[in-house]
Amino acid sequence: MEKATVVVIGGGATGVGILRDLAMRGVDVMLVEKRDLINGASSRYHGLLHSGGRYAVKDQEAAKECIEENTILRKIGKSCVEASGGMFVRLDSDDPDYEKSWVEGCKVSGIEAKHISLDEAFHLEPRLSKHVVSAYLVDSAKRYGGRLKTYTEVISILKDGDEVHGVKVRDVFSGEEYEIGCDILINAGGGWAGKIAEMAGLEVGVQPDKGTLLAFNQRIANHVVNRLHKSSDGDIFVPHGSITILGTTSMSIPDAEDTSTSREEVEKLLSIGEQTFEHLRDYRLLRCFAGSRPLYIPPGGVKGRGASRGFAIVDHAEQDGLKGMLTIVGGKFTTYRLMAERMSDKVCEKLGNHEKCRTAEEPLVPQVSEEAKAEARKYFPSYGTNLAATRLGPERFARVVDTLKREPEKREIVCECENVTRAEVEEIAKELSSYKINDVRRRTRLGMGTCQANFCALRSASVFAKCGHAEIAKDSLGQMKEFLQGRWKGIRPVLMGRTLREAEMTRGLYELNFNVTGDLVLDADGNAKVQENGGNAK
Amino acid sequence: MIRSEVVVIGGGFAGLTAALAAAKRGQTVTLLTYGEGTLPLNSGVIDVLGYDENHNFVENPIAAIEKLPETHPYKKIGVKALQEAVEFFCGVARKNHIPYHGSLDHQMMVPTAIGTLKPTCLTPHSLSGSEVFPGKKKIVVVGIKGLKDFYGDIMMENLKKALGEGREYQLVEVDTGLTGGRDITTQDVARWLDTDAGTASFTKQLKAYGGETDVLFIVPQVLGTKGHACYQTISSRLGTDVLETTCLPPSVNGMRLQHVLVDSLREMGVDIVENTKVIGSEKDGKTVKAVIAKTASNERKYYAKKFILATGGFYSGGITMRDFEQPKEPIFDLPVSFVKGEENWTNKELFGNAPQGFAKTGILTDEALHPVDESGTVVLENVHVVGRDLGGYDFCFEHSGNGVALASAYKAAMM
Repeated sequence: MEKATVVVIGGGATGVGILRDLAMRGVDVMLVEKRDLINGASSRYHGLLHSGGRYAVKDQEAAKECIEENTILRKIGKSCVEASGGMFVRLDSDDPDYEKSWVEGCKVSGIEAKHISLDEAFHLEPRLSKHVVSAYLVDSAKRYGGRLKTYTEVISILKDGDEVHGVKVRDVFSGEEYEIGCDILINAGGGWAGKIAEMAGLEVGVQPDKGTLLAFNQRIANHVVNRLHKSSDGDIFVPHGSITILGTTSMSIPDAEDTSTSREEVEKLLSIGEQTFEHLRDYRLLRCFAGSRPLYIPPGGVKGRGASRGFAIVDHAEQDGLKGMLTIVGGKFTTYRLMAERMSDKVCEKLGNHEKCRTAEEPLVPQVSEEAKAEARKYFPSYGTNLAATRLGPERFARVVDTLKREPEKREIVCECENVTRAEVEEIAKELSSYKINDVRRRTRLGMGTCQANFCALRSASVFAKCGHAEIAKDSLGQMKEFLQGRWKGIRPVLMGRTLREAEMTRGLYELNFNVTGDLVLDADGNAKVQENGGNAK
Repeated sequence: MIRSEVVVIGGGFAGLTAALAAAKRGQTVTLLTYGEGTLPLNSGVIDVLGYDENHNFVENPIAAIEKLPETHPYKKIGVKALQEAVEFFCGVARKNHIPYHGSLDHQMMVPTAIGTLKPTCLTPHSLSGSEVFPGKKKIVVVGIKGLKDFYGDIMMENLKKALGEGREYQLVEVDTGLTGGRDITTQDVARWLDTDAGTASFTKQLKAYGGETDVLFIVPQVLGTKGHACYQTISSRLGTDVLETTCLPPSVNGMRLQHVLVDSLREMGVDIVENTKVIGSEKDGKTVKAVIAKTASNERKYYAKKFILATGGFYSGGITMRDFEQPKEPIFDLPVSFVKGEENWTNKELFGNAPQGFAKTGILTDEALHPVDESGTVVLENVHVVGRDLGGYDFCFEHSGNGVALASAYKAAMM
């Protein structure tokens, strides 16, 4: 049986944070995740590190955690964080009393909110609606030996009397089932934490709360623009690179798997968003996506937007008399590091490990040196260098640059929208955690830009067939279709305006020009017939 | 005052064809185009009908057209007009040194850049796949060094599945010498093959693999930018058949077709006005007097007896939809037919077994291709709608885009 001292279930921000924290303290830790890393709520959000300003009135505990963690993350993750700064605006239709209590709340939580004139606000954000009456600026913004298994789903929790001693897992692709032994099991399943607890016969109050967001193909604002009113749907605009994300809604759902979105949600977000930016509907929508916040509902607690964004650690030995299992729920992306620290402290205490947490000091991603970047710029598309350095880290970045230097044909830009080179796609495609083009996408931003994979679907399928380790990598048509289908999921609910043009193009190229269904074969006389089990039916 | 007998709006396959057919009738024609047209994205082969509404493969397109729903554009155009349009088109292509062949009762299978087979009806010789596959014992897939968007390895693996394993397959690579720090496209290679030095080098590099008539070379769409002379030279020097695939844009074959049509229009003296966006029209009851066009410097009116709308649907802004369920035709403000309800607008699967609802958005017409409203009443008596602006068909799903464009354009010009 495979063994680890600690097994963490769930590869979201919290689980990965715990894996890193414990590994840094020398604990033998393994993480299992049923899909790919950062695939649940952790990649389906604004991509925003909250200043805490949003919670300054209602939830000052969460607000304080946010501003403190925000400051730490900007230090340890310098290259991953774009210091866009935040702006809070009140429209003439918003309650002026809320503004007063917000200013008060910021003071109490330690958030610096600077009142600015409307002239300055319009100078900084020229597209803002003329209905803005008040504005404020808020300043925001393996190496350690842990083991990782993606596409490995926990199917049962192994117990011996009142003690957990491991998990039974299934390899998602091969179907193989096997056991992993451990002394301590950590449930960091996010929206799925309740389901995981059920496997151990326990109850944890997690309410998956769906938030839907819109991605626009332009940078509409320079700052993170928040509406100064009681937190509500669709009132935060977050600029990212060349796009803007608007969100979000809040809706209790029974199953965290549900990331479906509808036209109704899109309409709702647009009609609220256009109060802050009047010409919102003239920008091209890239896609709509949703994630589920794993809100912690203590017995008798409130659901939905009213629920606290704080987090909780449940020691099942104390609560349910089951030793060797802990659950972490609630919280926000912004506070993931703190959550991991608290959980790791608890685990280390049980293990008798006295190492101190170092995640607040050590950089999250080792920095790529300026010299290395300068060298890389000779081969990289200039806009892409910084981004690639950040996502690859120094070692992989150095390998990619070396490949570009030695093999000029690998300078081919596979994804023009996001400036991803063939060398980088190959580097990531070769990694053991890449089973699908979508896994490469999450690590490179391949296919996430303006054309939504119209051109890179073919290119990446070719690289993947050549470099991927998994048997399914060779199925180039299947990979291409699945990759495009993933894009389609987010395009469907926003299929209007100029997004219709892109959909016409995608289908014109892949369905019409390439007949990607691959259902026709020729017999010896040159007559076409439909292949058995071929075509679109799967 | 600018006045002609016919004004055609749109420079894609439908617009160019309509303008040419009208000019050949001896009418004075003005063609207004805003951009490049979509032919550089177009395979340039004439699909007529590849699949029916349930995604069953259609073996005999002309017979299957009879069974289409009444709202389908082919039902308004009619089989007779389609046949005449094909005859007209083949004549134009032949005269311009790129003969097309094939028939309306049989599907031609064209290999694609990903190694699948695409059903179509008319192709130039360089793309007439299923005619040359029989009897070929060896297939040589030719990659081009540094060429983007053609990956011989996946092409060959998928082609093996489509053509069967009972043949020998080989992957080779030609070096054009064009590489050097930038991506090269099919168009770059086609320009190289327009030169004598290019053709000589290309055939020299491939000669070693062929020599027998049972060998077939499959290449990306690179055999010259115009006509089919380059294709003829290379296949005769190699002593056997050479076949091109469909490719991602730029589509060299689509651009060959664009050259044929534009050159023919110039020869006929058609007035082609480029970089002109038509923004509205001047109407008198059910008659359009003029369209209003905007150039970089001013606005102008173009008067005509007849107007042909070939503005390319959603892709080219011929139909716009700023808000859900409110599609608009911006020039004549024609009624646009569309399916209501979110659940009908798209399918869950991008590539599924049913047409996409949104793709059927467009303008419905009578048999003369005059735009009609919901009740079937003609709304403008001297306007004809052609190509992708027409409603009631999903050209990607059923593989019918160029067929509808050609037949509707021809019929509109003849009315």
